Amino acid sequence: MTQTLAETGVVERTYVDCIRQALQQLLRDDDRVVVFGEDVGAFGGAFKATLGLQEEFGRDRVFDTPIAESAIIGSAIGMATQGLRPIIEMQFLDFMNTALHQLINNAATIHFRTGNAVPITVRAPCGGGFGGGPFHSEELETIFCHMPGLKVVYPAFPCDARGLLVSAVEDPNPVVYLENKYLYRHVKECLADNFEPVPIGVARVCRRGSDATIITYGAMVHESLAAADVLAAEERQIMVVDLRTLKPYDHDTILAAVAATNRVLVVHEAWRCCGFGAEIAAGIAERGFHLLDAPIMRVAAPDVPIPFAPSLESVYRPSAGTIVEALRELIEY
Amino acid sequence: MPVCPSSSLDLNQIPRNQWLAIYRTMCRARFTEQRMIRLYHQAKIFGGVYTGFGHEAIGAGTAHAGGDNDLFTPCIRDLTVHLARGLSVLDVFRQFLARATGPTRGRDGNVHYGRLDQGVYAMISHLGAMISVAVGGVMARRRQGLDAVAMAYVGDGATSTGDFHEAVNYASVFDVPLLVVIENNQFAYSTPNSQQYRCKHLIDRAPGYGIEGVQVDGNDAVAVHLKVREIVGEMRQTPRPVLLECDTLRIRGHGEHDDAGYIPEALKAEYAARDPLDNMRRSLTDAEIATARELDTIDSECQQEIDEGYQQALAEPMPDPATLLEGVYAE
Repeated sequence: MTQTLAETGVVERTYVDCIRQALQQLLRDDDRVVVFGEDVGAFGGAFKATLGLQEEFGRDRVFDTPIAESAIIGSAIGMATQGLRPIIEMQFLDFMNTALHQLINNAATIHFRTGNAVPITVRAPCGGGFGGGPFHSEELETIFCHMPGLKVVYPAFPCDARGLLVSAVEDPNPVVYLENKYLYRHVKECLADNFEPVPIGVARVCRRGSDATIITYGAMVHESLAAADVLAAEERQIMVVDLRTLKPYDHDTILAAVAATNRVLVVHEAWRCCGFGAEIAAGIAERGFHLLDAPIMRVAAPDVPIPFAPSLESVYRPSAGTIVEALRELIEY
Repeated sequence: MPVCPSSSLDLNQIPRNQWLAIYRTMCRARFTEQRMIRLYHQAKIFGGVYTGFGHEAIGAGTAHAGGDNDLFTPCIRDLTVHLARGLSVLDVFRQFLARATGPTRGRDGNVHYGRLDQGVYAMISHLGAMISVAVGGVMARRRQGLDAVAMAYVGDGATSTGDFHEAVNYASVFDVPLLVVIENNQFAYSTPNSQQYRCKHLIDRAPGYGIEGVQVDGNDAVAVHLKVREIVGEMRQTPRPVLLECDTLRIRGHGEHDDAGYIPEALKAEYAARDPLDNMRRSLTDAEIATARELDTIDSECQQEIDEGYQQALAEPMPDPATLLEGVYAE
């Protein structure tokens, strides 16, 4: 007997809905899970990702903290090493900078130094495109990817947002879970209630093509897909790979996608210099040089602090338009 | 500034064995570090040697007041805490000699070790950072129904960090049973307290956090232990953080590479006359807890343990270079 849509719970879900759903499921299924951070309690978080969770699970499981990013991560290390599964919300990724030593010197090194696991998940709302200016728009994935001992995931779609969050919390290591603020309510999918975890370390080809390959992640997946639509009208087929996990990243899927088109464009919202695209480009050059018919190209943010004025931010942030321009240059090389 | 001269304290209020255990921990730490210093000057140690000379009463007096479920984040000068919680002298030598068999398997050096199965966290070098780890650890244990408390150790220098402030305030807001043991040894590396803070005493900050602050003579293990037993007993019933400021002096340099020429000789002489081991011997013999001869026996037992520990660690291997990439991630 076929189920109706209502019976399967298929509804249109936003990216932030899916984060909330995953948090709710994790809190329900695993008594070790606690959720805390600034304003995540009754207020439901700056972006409402934790709305209703304190009411459902109590102040013991979902609670507000003082504005103390370092103590938030430090206390999560303490909890994780004593059997809990803390999920932290850094209100904005930008604020994590005041706690980097706790994450990269402390949490990331503990297993190597002592053999004790530190299963913490740090949710970090990141990215711009909404007039957030220099301190509410940053994309700092490259810092975390640089650090041995951390894992870094960055979903671009609602289904991956919930599936990767569950995997991050189940992982015995510190995981930085980057969630893009622009995507919170801009991206929707019709999804059932039930879902499977999305494994860490596995990229996804979200569009097949033969003329060029884009390797990207986060909000730039959507800009890249829009750019691919533009070129499709010109009979150019663009492959788009959504990395989903930045560390450890999926070398094999990248190489297969490069092999299919022999031309590759790396796109990210973060700054160009030492951005994560540099690692991807170097990896392709090391392992797939023979596959290339053109130089590896990058579209990234210019190396300036993130500007506020819409007239500036719109040219600062990579877009479908800048990606289309780069693709044309790449294909014509 | 001695606040609790042990001469006026009643040692008979707790079992004799407890005092002897504290004395033994102090001796094990002191003699182990004496050996480390010798090895350092013989270039048999890799990296630095940082000792707790003069601080033994603080670590031993506090850690021996803890129970099985309690958590500790010792700092640089707290070998006593590790030993009181069950670490072997052998493990200490393995650590300093970078042995594969040691607590960090040669992955980290000197004072950066700790065994969680003994309730002890391995410190990182960023001072003040471990306080919030202790806070989270004991929050978790409380949530699991244990009446645990945590003891976090910092020096005077670490009280200037943002981490100190964040963690103490955080602990206060959540009523976390946390004893912040401030080992005020008057110098942060070469920087004297006059250039570190301007309050009269560091516990003057306690009211600002809405918590209690207590001072104690950090060279008097009896005073430290009795005061901490009392505080910890109350803390288990009514969870809350407390600042404990222990007055002492760092008798040697920051590390053995440092001759501490910046510490005035008169100040050194003043504290040398109140050496914590000498104080403890006097307290125990005056109160007829032990005879000098019994204490001498403990001394020689400790020396023997150290000789054996060092020789065994020396015979053990350093990590195999082929294992370099192992252990970065938990499986």
